[in-house]
Amino acid sequence: MTHYKKLLALIAALAMLAAACGSDDTEASNDEETAETADSDAADSDGAEEEAMEEDADSEEAMEEEDAMADGGFEAGLDFNAILLPKFTGIAVFDQANEGALEAAGELGTNEAEFLGPTADNSVAGQIEIVTNAATQGVDAVMISNNAGDQIEPAVADLVDTGAVVVTWDSPIPSSNGESLFVAQVDFDETGKVMADMARSILGDDGGSFAVLSASPDASNQNAWIAALEEVLATDEYADLILLDTVYGNDESEESYNQALALVDQHPDMELIMSPTTVGIAAAAKAMQDEDLCEDVKVSGLGLPDEMRAYTASGCAPEFALWSFVDLGYLTYYVTYGLATGQIEAADGASFSAGRMGDYTIETDPTRDAGLRVLMGPFTVYNEDNIG
Amino acid sequence: MTTMSMSRLGPDRLKELTLAATIFLSLVVFGLLIEGYFSGRFFNRVTLGVAIVAVVAAGQSLVILTRNIDLSVGSIVGVSAYVTGQQLGNHPEANVVVAIALAIAIGAILGLINGLLVAVARIPSIIVTLGTLAIYRTVLIAYGDAKTITADTLPSWLVNLPKSTLFSIGDYDLRFMFALAIGVVIALQIAFGRLRVGRRLYALGSNPDAAHQAGLSINRLTVLAFVGCGALAGLGGFLFLARFGTITVTAGQGLELQAIAAAVVGGVSTLGGAGTLVGSLFGALLIEVLNQSLVRLPALSEFWRDAVLGLLILIAVILDAVLARRFNPGRPRILAGTSAPGREPGSAQAITETGGTATGGAATGGAP
Amino acid sequence: MTGRARPVISENRRWELLLLTILVVTVIFNVMQSTNYLGINNFINLFELSVEKIIVAVVMAFVIVCGEIDLSVASIMGVGACVVAVLHDSTSVPFTLAILIAVGVGGLAGLLQGWCSATLGVPSLVVTLAGLIGFRGLARILVEDRSIGDFPEWFDSLGQSGVIGPLPFSVIVFFVAILFGGVVLGRTGLGRRAYVIGDNAEMARYSGIDVVGYKIRLFAVSGAVAAFAGVLFAARLGSVRGDVASGFELDIITMVLLGGVSIFGGTGSMLGVFTSILIVLNLRNGLGLANVEANTQTGIIGVILIASVVLRNAFARFDTSSLDTQAPPHHEPAVTNHDLTTANP
Repeated sequence: MTHYKKLLALIAALAMLAAACGSDDTEASNDEETAETADSDAADSDGAEEEAMEEDADSEEAMEEEDAMADGGFEAGLDFNAILLPKFTGIAVFDQANEGALEAAGELGTNEAEFLGPTADNSVAGQIEIVTNAATQGVDAVMISNNAGDQIEPAVADLVDTGAVVVTWDSPIPSSNGESLFVAQVDFDETGKVMADMARSILGDDGGSFAVLSASPDASNQNAWIAALEEVLATDEYADLILLDTVYGNDESEESYNQALALVDQHPDMELIMSPTTVGIAAAAKAMQDEDLCEDVKVSGLGLPDEMRAYTASGCAPEFALWSFVDLGYLTYYVTYGLATGQIEAADGASFSAGRMGDYTIETDPTRDAGLRVLMGPFTVYNEDNIG
Repeated sequence: MTTMSMSRLGPDRLKELTLAATIFLSLVVFGLLIEGYFSGRFFNRVTLGVAIVAVVAAGQSLVILTRNIDLSVGSIVGVSAYVTGQQLGNHPEANVVVAIALAIAIGAILGLINGLLVAVARIPSIIVTLGTLAIYRTVLIAYGDAKTITADTLPSWLVNLPKSTLFSIGDYDLRFMFALAIGVVIALQIAFGRLRVGRRLYALGSNPDAAHQAGLSINRLTVLAFVGCGALAGLGGFLFLARFGTITVTAGQGLELQAIAAAVVGGVSTLGGAGTLVGSLFGALLIEVLNQSLVRLPALSEFWRDAVLGLLILIAVILDAVLARRFNPGRPRILAGTSAPGREPGSAQAITETGGTATGGAATGGAP
Repeated sequence: MTGRARPVISENRRWELLLLTILVVTVIFNVMQSTNYLGINNFINLFELSVEKIIVAVVMAFVIVCGEIDLSVASIMGVGACVVAVLHDSTSVPFTLAILIAVGVGGLAGLLQGWCSATLGVPSLVVTLAGLIGFRGLARILVEDRSIGDFPEWFDSLGQSGVIGPLPFSVIVFFVAILFGGVVLGRTGLGRRAYVIGDNAEMARYSGIDVVGYKIRLFAVSGAVAAFAGVLFAARLGSVRGDVASGFELDIITMVLLGGVSIFGGTGSMLGVFTSILIVLNLRNGLGLANVEANTQTGIIGVILIASVVLRNAFARFDTSSLDTQAPPHHEPAVTNHDLTTANP
């Protein structure tokens, strides 16, 4: 074994040398691009400030502080072999994340990450298998959208032992054991607030009752978001929004569709279905449309604009939210590259510049008991005005 | 269907009646348990929901009748739904007949591949379709390239198809999709009763040796059953597309187990030769009624649904076995210890064994 | 004993040879593809990643030789893992006792299915299909939407680190199981009875074998082994959710069928199953190391499953070319005469 490692190290060192020699050009052009896009990004986040809550105020302060020292961004062209591991392959959002990662790899002048995922029906065991094989392959980093909850921990621990960096995105390791940090698409607590605000805007000032249609009972990100939603609803401000029920459609169109209709039967006074999953929201919207229920029961939650366009136009899903998965993949690739090449450390307060997306600071994750995160945020809330 | 004179249809008719009674009974029980249970919406829900499974289960029944099984139907539904959706996105001017024909053709081709592998290459169907279950899905994922078919790319007639109603009695609608599904199933059942090919399928399933002795082309019949199953799964894919609008490459995953469950609850014997397509329709209906009703039982937490459903299916098949034994004690398959799946035509093992047993008398399976 | 016994045996041998060839090709492919393939750690990983499935595959081989099938194994694995987790989480039952209870529950689940199938005559495909749905439901009832972890230290390390050198406990369990299973199936009356029942249950009954009892016991063992494998899976993962092991049944059945065990019962050998397990594991491992998508891996295994039977049939046709290959099948009774005489106790 050590024989192979030596060989690998030698190859890696040679590759690094070669890359360093040839990378001058790309580095320069990257710098220019970074400077340009950092500005426009600041403007963007201003526009979306309404959606971004207190959390954002903190990070914006931090950003301003860091702006001066982080202009350079990462040194490009270093050797970096990584795997981008989605929950499973074959659906649009993860493919978009890979697009972002490819874009970042291009800018950083390094290898494209292998985009490897399990099949949808074998997600947990498949993710563990890929992480374990990654340890054998001796990759520099694995970027995981974790679908296995804490079950991924032992495999991740073995991988980290080989010196690889593990970064989670989209869905973290709940205990944070093994991961360097979590690239959070949005603040998980904020998700609760955004869902409550959308419910408020759809139900009107006098409030009303609604139900949640989630993915599987085992999905850790959805569970965290629903918990956050319940917390927000417990405050006085939202006391007139009543959560009737939480049901699960297991991210299958058919089951989500049936569950949405069953909710309608079970709760005659329900006025809204909130679905924090792209499969669920599309199925629920289709169900309401098919049954001519859109007048009485609206649908909202987290959805892909492409899949929701028709339902927003028909008024079934007047408002829903999501973040950009392309940006998420892009940011994840940047920070992972920085960590694996030793240019930043996974420590509270460390900051870096991520190409066109501007500057970010690593912070303690306030939504988990332990762990660090980089907060991408904010949400984009889609309605008929901006869905195009 | 009174023209069916084959004696085996006696117990089949009995099974259909038992199932209808069971469905009626569950409706009454749930009606007592759930307030506001009977509504036009519930009726529409069940009928729409059952349309897809019923069509796929009918195809599955054809194959099971011939002592085979098709595990690949879920993947066929996925391929058919995805490709049809994609083509309709590119050619929005296409009408409903063309779309359905395309979906059926895709399914039939995939079914033909299964059938040829089973009948001509002589591979047991469970192996063939376990393989094609994976292969068809793999091809679809590679072909689909993680693109999702979305409702806004589809012609509006398709998106609105689930809503289109032939006629209504009060709140109770007869939806086009449900009418299409039961229409197809019943028409096939009648056709099988009247046409020679249908009787031959039963003959093949109940006794392949005798069927062969009688000069039936077993290969052709087996291929035909698989093509029929694929075609019906293709139609199921069209219904899936119309109903959900959003089609990912994982569409239809797991449908094979639902279809088999519907067929066996519907009294189609996995030993071949017994059961009807209408039975499988009732089976699908019973499961759908249970599924739709269990989600509405407030006392039953979300997590209890699968357990209760599994138990009810078990009870249904046990009842079926017990009733069949009582009413028809002569049926050999009910005898204790003979529940092994039937041997099937074209098995590899069979070829080597045929050597000593190619004479006709063995067909009755007498003891030495 | 009739002369007809011979072709069946050579049929098995030929199948094993074919599998061995596929295995060698796979290994050569892997060695050429990846420098990381050859190495003791990878070799252990390769087993460890699927060890729960392959343990269940051993007992599944018996079930299929008997002409039955058990689709519920993955759900019972889930029940086993969830029972242990819940007993650990919300009762003060000692952990070792919790494991025993979990295995017992699995055995009972199998017993119930065996009884329904063997005594009532409901085909096992149907009964265990209901079990697949129902026992998964039971697992979900037990843990709901929780993820239960924090098992005792010794339990986690049992699943995650080596017991003998780098060999984890579960891998040792597998080797013991397949060795034991191979001896029982191939060398004992118990195993021979499985073949006789699989060949023709009716004949087996006439010859004095307690077919019903045999099958019920077999399903009970299948359930208990599946539950135990689920417990091992829990140890390897360090925590348990309601969906643990779901969907494993098709992989397990694929390995057994590729191993040459006829789905109609009565033929197949543990050596074949072992070779097929090695093929599937090495193939997945090698393709994984070569960064081939999991979806493509599954497709490739599907192709091999079909292609291997095509090959076998092609060989068989050579041997029996004098026969009309259009002639249909088979016939149970006549085939089993020789088996009966050898199997009578």
